[in-house]
Amino acid sequence: MKGYHLGELEELILLTVGVLGKEAYGVSVLEEIKNQTGRKVNISAIHTVLNRLEEKGFLESKMGGATEERGGRRKRLFNISAHGRTAITEIRSLRNKLYDQIPPLALDFSYGN
Amino acid sequence: METKRHHTPPKWADRFLEFYCNPKKLEQIQGDAYEIFYMNLEEKGLSFAKFRFWIHVLSFFRWSNIKRTKTNYYSSTTTAMFKNYLKIGWRNLLKQKSTTFISVFGLACAIACCLVAYLFIEGIWMKGMLQPNKNEIYQLTYTVEEADGKVTYGTVAEPISELLQGEFPEIKAHTRIKNGFPILVYQNESYNQRVIYVDPDYMDMFSYKMHHGYPEALNEPNQVILTYELSEKLFGETHPIGQEITLVRNGEEGFYKVGGVLEKLNDLDMFNFDMLVNFSNIEEINPAVSLKESWDSGVWTFIQLDQNTSLGELQGGFEKIRESQNQINPERPYLRLELVPYTDLVYKIGEIKQGVRDFLGIGPQILLGAIGLFVLILAVFNYINISILMASKRLKEIGIRKVIGSRRSQLILQFLSENMIVCSLAILVGCLLAVFILVPGFNQIASKSLKMDFFNDPYIWLFLIGLAGFITLASGFYPALFVSGFKPVAILKGNQKLGGKSILTTILLTFQFTLAIISIVASIAFIQTNYLNENRDWGYDNTDKIIVNIPDSTGYNTLVDRLSAVGSVQEVSGSHHYVGNWLDESEVIFQDQKVEVDLLRAEANYPELLGLRLKNGRFLDQASATDLSENILVNERFMADLGLTFPIEEKVYLDSMPYQVVGVVEDFHTEFFQRPMIPTVIRATDDNSYSFLTLKMSSGSAMSSMELVKESWRESFPKGLFEGKLQENVFELALRDVRGVQKILLFSAILAVLLSAMGLYGLVSLNMNSRIKDFCVRKVFGAETGDLSGKLFKRYLISWGIAALVGGGLAIVLVSAFLNSFFAYHSGVGVLPLGFSILGLLFVIGLTVGSQLWKVIKANPSDILKAE
Repeated sequence: MKGYHLGELEELILLTVGVLGKEAYGVSVLEEIKNQTGRKVNISAIHTVLNRLEEKGFLESKMGGATEERGGRRKRLFNISAHGRTAITEIRSLRNKLYDQIPPLALDFSYGN
Repeated sequence: METKRHHTPPKWADRFLEFYCNPKKLEQIQGDAYEIFYMNLEEKGLSFAKFRFWIHVLSFFRWSNIKRTKTNYYSSTTTAMFKNYLKIGWRNLLKQKSTTFISVFGLACAIACCLVAYLFIEGIWMKGMLQPNKNEIYQLTYTVEEADGKVTYGTVAEPISELLQGEFPEIKAHTRIKNGFPILVYQNESYNQRVIYVDPDYMDMFSYKMHHGYPEALNEPNQVILTYELSEKLFGETHPIGQEITLVRNGEEGFYKVGGVLEKLNDLDMFNFDMLVNFSNIEEINPAVSLKESWDSGVWTFIQLDQNTSLGELQGGFEKIRESQNQINPERPYLRLELVPYTDLVYKIGEIKQGVRDFLGIGPQILLGAIGLFVLILAVFNYINISILMASKRLKEIGIRKVIGSRRSQLILQFLSENMIVCSLAILVGCLLAVFILVPGFNQIASKSLKMDFFNDPYIWLFLIGLAGFITLASGFYPALFVSGFKPVAILKGNQKLGGKSILTTILLTFQFTLAIISIVASIAFIQTNYLNENRDWGYDNTDKIIVNIPDSTGYNTLVDRLSAVGSVQEVSGSHHYVGNWLDESEVIFQDQKVEVDLLRAEANYPELLGLRLKNGRFLDQASATDLSENILVNERFMADLGLTFPIEEKVYLDSMPYQVVGVVEDFHTEFFQRPMIPTVIRATDDNSYSFLTLKMSSGSAMSSMELVKESWRESFPKGLFEGKLQENVFELALRDVRGVQKILLFSAILAVLLSAMGLYGLVSLNMNSRIKDFCVRKVFGAETGDLSGKLFKRYLISWGIAALVGGGLAIVLVSAFLNSFFAYHSGVGVLPLGFSILGLLFVIGLTVGSQLWKVIKANPSDILKAE
């Protein structure tokens, strides 16, 4: 496979799921994104992306953790799969690699000589 | 938390979510939505929370979350099961190769027969249905008052067609169509071909595929379009376009060029012809016809309308035309001038006189349909019998399936899907059989041109699909229902016995035997009848005579002179008709009795020349004036019908002229044996306007002198078409038909016997497999072979006995009716066909059962009993 194709929102959500550890499900992901980035994402968009990531094998899920607010309904709890972990590591290193190759700004005097 | 209990998310939104959401995802989605609702409720209040809930429910309404239809939703399991059914079915079929072969082969034969019958019937009822413009085309008809009520005719006055085009803009195209039989001359060879004269619009209205040239060729009056067959016949390999041919019509020659050649015509085409000729050619021939005459002569007139034309208005407009027609021709006023849709023409065959089609031929349709149905029933019964028996081997499988939780409907589906495999195979094989064997064979026998046209004919697909569905259900539904109805407990405990003893199997078998007997009787009786008829005395001496036609009475005398000069010709005699073809019908009045008679008008020496045998009195004499004007000969039937004995003192009246009967001849067959003997009157004439000349040749020279006769004939009529034939061949066409029917019947009888024997074989062998241990144990204990075979034969003998009684009885009734409809003279259903069919069937049964019995007799009990 030639790299991992992840959209911007997909990457964001994948990372958030990683951050949340074992408590990642639709609403918690929504809240976490809001808190960390201040960005409001629609809940249905989050569901769609979570499902898609699971289909692609980046996430695993199980049902569990019913609460009263949910009317006794279980959550679908997501967890990063090994494949997902390699994917974010890969993406990160790719980004870093690219970032490191950006030429320094002209006004950076450290390269002045 | 108090507030939470008092408020719930909006009910309708919640319901909507539950309605559309895929049940697999509902829990998480609904849970999240609730959670957010309560979060919003705490932070922003009730109305905002409710509003957001709605928004969320709507935003969840996405393709991936929506519930699919039920079947689709469960589809993963159903298709998997279905695949499993097919796989198991396929394996089962492979496991039982011989029985599968019996089922597939039987059904394939049946399908092939049904296809032939279907094609034949389709060819009659679906005429013209493949025309793309069929819904826009109409035929003009008119109705007049006649002695026996209102009669509708299909041929309207010629000028009407042209009036129409001018008067009504909604008529897109119109054509007159007239049949003609001009003589076609090409390279000094004459041919008799069917021509239709049409207007150039014809090619626009009716679409034909062109083999050479283009449809507009007909726009030129001197160009003609040929059918592929005629072009082949005339030109063979040479390119037909531009070839010159001559048509002789009423003695006048017309020169034409070939402008196009059509692809082979289909049996579904409405018009039968060999050549299309521009209509203007028959108008120009007689430019001087009076107005009245042209209004008198009728032609078929077809028009093509714009799609949206209101028929009612158009009919109203016809009133004017009708009136002008009635002014010109007041003796035969048109009551109505009507349009008949092209697609209805076939269904109105009886209603329109002189229509495009006036003959349906119900008899052959019934015969073929009945044969198709017979064979289909036989094959389906075979299949039912075999599949019930096969299912009995799978009782355990059924029991286990049921215990595991398979529903009855699923089991039925399983069996039906297995059936479907067999039927699809059978359809495939059946189509191949039909295309390569049965249809060509039938075409040859019946001189038809049936064709399986899978690409152009949508109806055949409908028929095949319908047939497949019918066979699948008819043959599979009962076994499936029967087998799936067992109680699993009974099956698994081994109490459920199912086998060859089922009453239904016996009934079906008996029914098959009955059908087999009927078809054997039909074919043998038919063959017997044919044999008798071919050797039947025709009532005269049919050897050494040649009949030639006389196209033009002016050349009669020279023809007689020329032909008399031919060495082997002993005597010649002219006649208006000839014996062996139809005669004039007339009516004789004797005292107060009226009799319908056939009237043979000929030269006085004709009866003697033909070899009619004199019973009483004398023949007529050409030299005697009274014989020519006052005396007649009659046949025996005439005397018998009138209850007379020769001599008759009183005169008989023919066309209100008195005649004296001077001689009685023995009955002779003027027409084929389909027609009973008719009272016949022979009258001598000397008006020289004869249509036929019969030549008496010296013994044995008739065949060899034909060429000489033809040459002399050509000298008299260089442009005419020579139609000479031997007197002994006059029934040739009819005999060929009858032989064709005989072949079809024989074929169906053989097929019926074969199928029932194969069904029986499958039944016995399956039965034998399940009871072979039983037999072996018996053998070990010393049972005699006779004892064993008696046990095995008994059931089938009972079936045979019942079938012999029922089938024999039915055959006597049905076959006699069939023969009666076919022949006036037949053998009837005698001892020969009955005995042969019943004993023949017994022989076949004995052979089939015996072959299986042989297995038991040869079997070594220790091998079989040790096997398990």
